[in-house]
Amino acid sequence: MSSKSSLLKVILLGDGGVGKSSLMNRYVTNKFDAHLFHTIGVEFLNKDLEVDGRTVTLQIWDTAGQERFRSLRTPFYRGSDCCLLTFSVDDSQSFHNLVNWKKEFIYYADVKEPESFPFVVLGNKLDVSERQVSSEEAQEWCMESGGYPYFETSAKDATNVAVAFEEAVRRVLSLEDRHEHLIPTDTVNLHRKPRSATQCC
Amino acid sequence: MVHVYNCHPFAAQRIVSAEQEPGLVCCGGGALFVVSAGGCKIEAFDLQREESPVICRFSCAGTVLSLQHSAVGDYLVTIEEKNNATYLRAYTNWRYQAVEKTRVGVRLLGHLLRGSSFRGAPKEQMEIIEIPLFEPPLCVACCSLTGDLLVGSAKSLVVFSLKRQTLSEQLSVLDFERVLILHIQGWSPSQVAFCAGYLALQTELEVLVIKLVQQQKSAQTAEENALLPVDIMVETSLEDDAEMKKDGFSPLHEQEDFFVFPKHQEMLGSEAQHCGITLVPECTAMDSESRGETTVVYVLFRRFAPDFFQGCSVEETRLHSLQLHPIFTGKQEESSISRCGDPDCMFVFFSLPNTGYMYSLKSSVELVSTYQYPEKAHQAVLSDQFLYVITRNALQCFTVRCSAVAARVQDPYIDTTMKACPPFSMEVCALRIQLFIGLKVLCQDGDHIVLLTAADVDSKENTERPARKNTEWREHRALTGILLAVGLDATSAPTLESLLSKSFLSRKSSVCKSTEAPDSAHGWNLYVISSVSTLQLYREIVEYSKRYEQSNPCSQSCVHLLSEAHLLLRSALLKLQNGPAEEKQELLEAFQESCAHLGDCFSRFDKKDCHLALPYYKMSGLTVTDVIQRNVSMSGVSSGYGRGFIFFLKHSLYEETVEELSKDVADKVLEIFSVAEPAQLPHVVCCSSMLNADPDGAGALLEQLEASGAPSITLALCRASLALRTGDRHTYSQQMERHAEMLQVYGFIEEPRLLLHGRGVGLMPTLLAQQLRDSQDGLLVAALVALHENSRISLEDAHLFFQELCKDRLEPDSSPQLLVDFWESLLVASSRESTIQELLFRLVSVYISRITCSHPSGCKALKTADDLINSCSHYGMLYPWVSILTPNLYHDQQEDLLKLQSLLCGPTLQVSSILPLLEPLSDSDDPGLSVHVLCSTKLGQHEDSIHRLLDRCPQAIIPYAQHQLHHHTLCLWWQKLFPEVCDRIRKTGNDNTILLSALKETLIVAARELTPLEFLDLLPDDGTAHFFLPHLLECCQ
Ligand SMILES: Nc1nc2c(ncn2[C@@H]2O[C@H](COP(=O)(O)OP(=O)(O)OP(=O)(O)O)[C@@H](O)[C@H]2O)c(=O)[nH]1
Ligand SMILES: [Mg+2]
Repeated sequence: MSSKSSLLKVILLGDGGVGKSSLMNRYVTNKFDAHLFHTIGVEFLNKDLEVDGRTVTLQIWDTAGQERFRSLRTPFYRGSDCCLLTFSVDDSQSFHNLVNWKKEFIYYADVKEPESFPFVVLGNKLDVSERQVSSEEAQEWCMESGGYPYFETSAKDATNVAVAFEEAVRRVLSLEDRHEHLIPTDTVNLHRKPRSATQCC
Repeated sequence: MVHVYNCHPFAAQRIVSAEQEPGLVCCGGGALFVVSAGGCKIEAFDLQREESPVICRFSCAGTVLSLQHSAVGDYLVTIEEKNNATYLRAYTNWRYQAVEKTRVGVRLLGHLLRGSSFRGAPKEQMEIIEIPLFEPPLCVACCSLTGDLLVGSAKSLVVFSLKRQTLSEQLSVLDFERVLILHIQGWSPSQVAFCAGYLALQTELEVLVIKLVQQQKSAQTAEENALLPVDIMVETSLEDDAEMKKDGFSPLHEQEDFFVFPKHQEMLGSEAQHCGITLVPECTAMDSESRGETTVVYVLFRRFAPDFFQGCSVEETRLHSLQLHPIFTGKQEESSISRCGDPDCMFVFFSLPNTGYMYSLKSSVELVSTYQYPEKAHQAVLSDQFLYVITRNALQCFTVRCSAVAARVQDPYIDTTMKACPPFSMEVCALRIQLFIGLKVLCQDGDHIVLLTAADVDSKENTERPARKNTEWREHRALTGILLAVGLDATSAPTLESLLSKSFLSRKSSVCKSTEAPDSAHGWNLYVISSVSTLQLYREIVEYSKRYEQSNPCSQSCVHLLSEAHLLLRSALLKLQNGPAEEKQELLEAFQESCAHLGDCFSRFDKKDCHLALPYYKMSGLTVTDVIQRNVSMSGVSSGYGRGFIFFLKHSLYEETVEELSKDVADKVLEIFSVAEPAQLPHVVCCSSMLNADPDGAGALLEQLEASGAPSITLALCRASLALRTGDRHTYSQQMERHAEMLQVYGFIEEPRLLLHGRGVGLMPTLLAQQLRDSQDGLLVAALVALHENSRISLEDAHLFFQELCKDRLEPDSSPQLLVDFWESLLVASSRESTIQELLFRLVSVYISRITCSHPSGCKALKTADDLINSCSHYGMLYPWVSILTPNLYHDQQEDLLKLQSLLCGPTLQVSSILPLLEPLSDSDDPGLSVHVLCSTKLGQHEDSIHRLLDRCPQAIIPYAQHQLHHHTLCLWWQKLFPEVCDRIRKTGNDNTILLSALKETLIVAARELTPLEFLDLLPDDGTAHFFLPHLLECCQ
């Protein structure tokens, strides 16, 4: 059981107010708060889950989207296994800013091969009626940028939230498997007890 | 040889129900932290509560490689790894994680998010502080006193100081500031320890201890250095290093190119600076200006060499368990309360697989204890009272010497006849060896020890029940072998048998049923073992010691065990300095009891250390009567009394601190000495505490002693004084007449207690002294003078003695005649300048007060003025003119006046010092006048004297002038005396024959000394020519 496979760090980036904190809350605690404070700095929550028979701990890092908190969040990009670029479908500016978020992440996370890094794009607030960003528009940007998976979510009514996070996990794991295949001596296959799986919450 | 005892320092064990197999374990602040084997989750358990319930669980941001808890700040610090990068993180406010699924805040060091600039509602949540470093961290340590951090990397050590910022009443946040970087060249420690400015660094085979010292910046060097970047400074210091080599120092770390067998090395104190490891400090604190310069002081360097020829590899010689341990003694009151001041003692511990070492670092750097383990040790932990060691299959509890070192720092009277404490060099011992299967990790917090056991994967089947017995038997056999190897015969030690055959813990705890279940279910177990109270263990050890005592009253093991018990109490008292008074009282009582036990032990001893009975008994609070009774009853068991007891008794009696013994006890004491040390009997008999002893019995014992040929002077005096007590005048006179007074004085020097008891305020003359006062006052005074001259009594005490002795006599003035006799005799005898001046002052004051006082004292002095003038140089011959002034008319005060005049005529008395005493003395009568004129004369005030004499006693003026006016005062004859005499003749008329003859004498001197012209000038205008002419003629010749 290498550390890589047991703890996955997934980071949520995107403009202030797009719903990053709401998505994390919905996914981990299954709650929604219509009047959430802006996030200050960086916070995380853990969730244990089983994907394709593997138990992993998903560590979701929620960041402050507002520009003034930039210096507080950027030091923690390092070590991420996956980046969730988030915008709000009722805010075209937040969509156009995705490119900046991606740049900021690649720069501060010190990603060696940005082309193969697993990004996932989330268009949140699907439940709102006044859309400013169309599904096609978003999908097209994802294709051009490197074939990122795209999910339209709603933290408010829980649409697609779990699916999106699970896809992120799957992306990371498949990437790891490929690495393991290439350099099989790199990771040690420790004796894993079946008991621990059932004990975990 | 290692003593192994079978005591029970452990009270109970319970099993902690961790969810997953523990990887790392650490404890602190009453909590146990377990990192799951996967490395990302931490479970915290409450050690203080019976079942050790879970406090909370939380996830880390990476795989934890190392984990420490800091009691100050209650934070955890981790080294974590994630995606091949290492991080240093501090987990603060972790207790808020009790509510799971709450968000965890993350911030960088120095970024206080909840400060006033960000108006987020203060949340009670766990917060991770990420501490950025230039190099990946390898090891970390927290200072247990300040919560500061020390982080070791490949090329540097970094010190972070803990900051606490209070936001509201309930909420304060922690932060760290990087204050210092120590750059190291070519040497990187794998383990570090940090406490109160001491840094201990350890590699596989070396240990270095340094101390950081803050120095006030000297202005010059500060400026110089400010201009240089840090890396340049590093280089210059490297050049210094090269300089050192040229000077003959050979740094050890320069030999990497060729293979040299490393040698064992120990460098203590500043010697350690030649170890070849250079540390260059770079201050990075915000207030570095005010902090002053940090310098590195080398404290200790130790290097070990693997024994390659014995087939040992570095692997088998690797050091572990580095630890710094501070102790406060409460000497500096405030610092120990806040625990932030400088600790009074500092210890460093480190361990090889087979040997552990503890050094004391303060005052002098020295090796305090060496621990020989019976088998290879995995890990060791030092606490205030014990050293815990785990080997593969045993938890061992060794004693430590911290409190023995601390006691000596705390109390300078230790190792004197006042107080004692077992030496810190005393061999350590194992109080207990407790079997466990597959020990992996050990940690300790307060009264709890935590153990992690795990079966090796491949031997898992062996632990199944049928095979169990077999395993245990094998363990026992192995242990027996080990004990033999360290010099212990397992078959001969009765305790060992039970050690090997029984289950070790009294499994009283409720968890015992569940022990089987988890054991068989998975291969690991996490145990919490609680310690018994110090008092309980103390009592057990005392009981234990009695078994040894029974087989041999002088058993070294008995003393050893009692000493260990004593040290345990000392360390408990140190820990409890500011603890509850009740608990402290209990410990203090036990402490006194332990001193009594040790006193008993040493009092039985005959040779080595028997003198320790004295200080231990003194500390025990027992009365001498108690001690005598204890020893009398002990001597029933063995035969006779030990030297230690006799030593104690002798010292206590002679120090006169003892209560007055009852008749029975006093008689017992005589009996004891008559057997053990009869030569002491005369001295013992004379002790003030022995007054109740039967005088007849004592007399008989002394007679026996004399018959056996003991020197007889003191003996005779003793017997005389005993006879006085019974009123046997006959024996008294008989004994007193046996020796000449001269010899008897020697007897009193040998035993002053014949005459006086006690010291200072409680000083009392004996019956014999009273008798001598009435019958042989000369002997008494001579004896006291001899005592004073032999430093047996001070002037003050002698004063008190005579005053007490004569207080019933009707003597009007404050100084009884005997005291004055003593002073006069002492003045004759003494040669010490300070004593002489003191005596002169006292005597002058007595003489003056007696001269002024109208009633005569009526007592006859031992020495007359003539005696003194003839025998003592300080009393001078009276000047001729003094006798004219005071002819022998004043019978009553004559002697005192003569003595005073004689002192004033003598060479020693300094007149200026006695002037204040003269005030009450009027010069209206001749005695007074004589003293005043003597004084002014001595002071050189001749004109004043001439006036007074011409006024009051002109017949003395010529003898005065002839005696006093010489050399430079010769001119006073004509300058002063001549005009004065002329003047008076003019006033009183020519028929004053005394004045006229004085004038003639004066003219003779003047004519002899002056030139005719001068002489002519001198003559008065109204003088009769025929009177002066012969003198003028005389002058012309
Ligand atoms: N209708 C609707 N509102 C949402 C949804 N997700 C979030 N919101 C609301 O949008 C607001 C902002 O959401 P947050 O989750 O705080 O946004 P954020 O991205 O965390 O913002 P920062 O912390 O400032 O970066 C809140 O009032 C949410 O209730 C959603 O799916 N639908
Ligand atoms: Mg937010």
